[in-house]
Amino acid sequence: MSIELVCPAGTPAALRAAVEAGAHAVYCGFRDETNARNFPGLNFSPDEMVEGVRFAHAHGAKVLVAINTFATAGAMDAWKAALANAEKAGADAVILADLAVLDHAATHHPNLRLHLSVQAAAATPEAIAFYADTFGVKRIVMPRVLSVEEIAKLNAAINVETEAFVFGGLCPMTEGRCSLSSYATGKSPNLTGVCSPPEHVAYSEDRDGTATRLAGFTIDRFGAGEPAGYPTLCKGRFAAGGKTGYLFEDPVSLNAASLIAALVKAGVTALKIEGRQRGKGYVAEVVRTFRAAVEAIDAGGTEVEVGRLLAGLVEGGRQTSGAYKKTWR
Amino acid sequence: MADHFRGELPKALRILAAPAGLLPLGPALTLAVRRFARRKPAVFERLGTYGQCSFLIEPSDLDISFLMVPDGVRAEVKCLRRRASQPADVTVRGPLLVLLGLIDGTFDGDALFFNRAISVSGRTDALVALRNAIEDAELTPADFVGVTGTLGRLVDRSVFGGLGLARRFTGSPVAGEPS
Repeated sequence: MSIELVCPAGTPAALRAAVEAGAHAVYCGFRDETNARNFPGLNFSPDEMVEGVRFAHAHGAKVLVAINTFATAGAMDAWKAALANAEKAGADAVILADLAVLDHAATHHPNLRLHLSVQAAAATPEAIAFYADTFGVKRIVMPRVLSVEEIAKLNAAINVETEAFVFGGLCPMTEGRCSLSSYATGKSPNLTGVCSPPEHVAYSEDRDGTATRLAGFTIDRFGAGEPAGYPTLCKGRFAAGGKTGYLFEDPVSLNAASLIAALVKAGVTALKIEGRQRGKGYVAEVVRTFRAAVEAIDAGGTEVEVGRLLAGLVEGGRQTSGAYKKTWR
Repeated sequence: MADHFRGELPKALRILAAPAGLLPLGPALTLAVRRFARRKPAVFERLGTYGQCSFLIEPSDLDISFLMVPDGVRAEVKCLRRRASQPADVTVRGPLLVLLGLIDGTFDGDALFFNRAISVSGRTDALVALRNAIEDAELTPADFVGVTGTLGRLVDRSVFGGLGLARRFTGSPVAGEPS
């Protein structure tokens, strides 16, 4: 195996589905504000994490625990407990973003392997060296704003592993620094672990189609049969300058399957699939398809048609290679 | 819209299914959900207080709908005539075979929403909680019938096999395929 496939799991059932579909590693989080997918009914209790790690290890897969929100000032107990519970469960690594959480982990859990979350948005050799030298971070999950060429240059200048997103939901903003959800709802993925919290989302149907509202703001309207996207402000459709359209980003999913070989050549250690909020049907299908794609490339065989195979699972019915190919430059 | 989504029961089957509204489906499903809650309480813990919300499930290809309050051992399911106007915290609408595919994990809820195969309204947080709890429950037909062991496996194989055939027959999407 030349490259590691890191796959999402929002529930124990999804973890088992990911492992059985061929994940080399699974990432998941606890059922609280310590991880960036803090949706109702999602995530793991401490006991479920223990069982999840046991299951994954029994099948030769790793478990990476995401504790990747920014801790609340003066109230870090939930993040400290999450680190302790991850270590107790036997996690292979924790994925962190906050400086205080990184410091606590490095000081009190020296045996935990530390990965830097995409939420930390570390994209320069200087920033990455700081995290590696100060806290002993071993892997960086790279922001989805870099091209393949930029990743290759970055890898040549750093001494830690890198992990790159290859499929799933696509944040057009620099992660960890987006305040759109917070502006509308008071909650954000950075602090409360949820972008567009569902208690602020409402759909209403009329004869013209479906309107999507976030905290009372109408952010999109889909005609009958028109593909839909997530109810986030960055993928909302707005009227400005006499035109109506997607001002920030179209509803679209990342698919960098055609760039796997280039990413490996650029020095990437692991490929990450987004989707802890998705069902086990999605997890199994995407993981199985990408495992086949990785193995085909390893064997020097024909490229797997990932885009066609997964077309029914993507946001807005569309796929993009995102910033990996900055065609607008 | 869901009305145009492939995977709906053909008209002949809809006519054959019409008498289902006369069966005591509500009490039977209530008993099944309560039995399941006693066997797997963790599923309802995952739902938390959302278990007290009401969910109106409307198969777009049947003349009946289901109103469910999944409150663990106090759960209740009512079978309603389609035209009965029933307020609910959440309404989910889509073809019967697609809705069943959400329960058994065949389909991904987000993908069905992106493709407009299902429509939703009401409290999105309650719907997300229910979706995630069902996702983790790994529900099988045997769970609802209340049988285990060899008989349970036989029930599961028969029902899943039947559903698979029905989905192929009605042109339901397979996972990953655009609708």
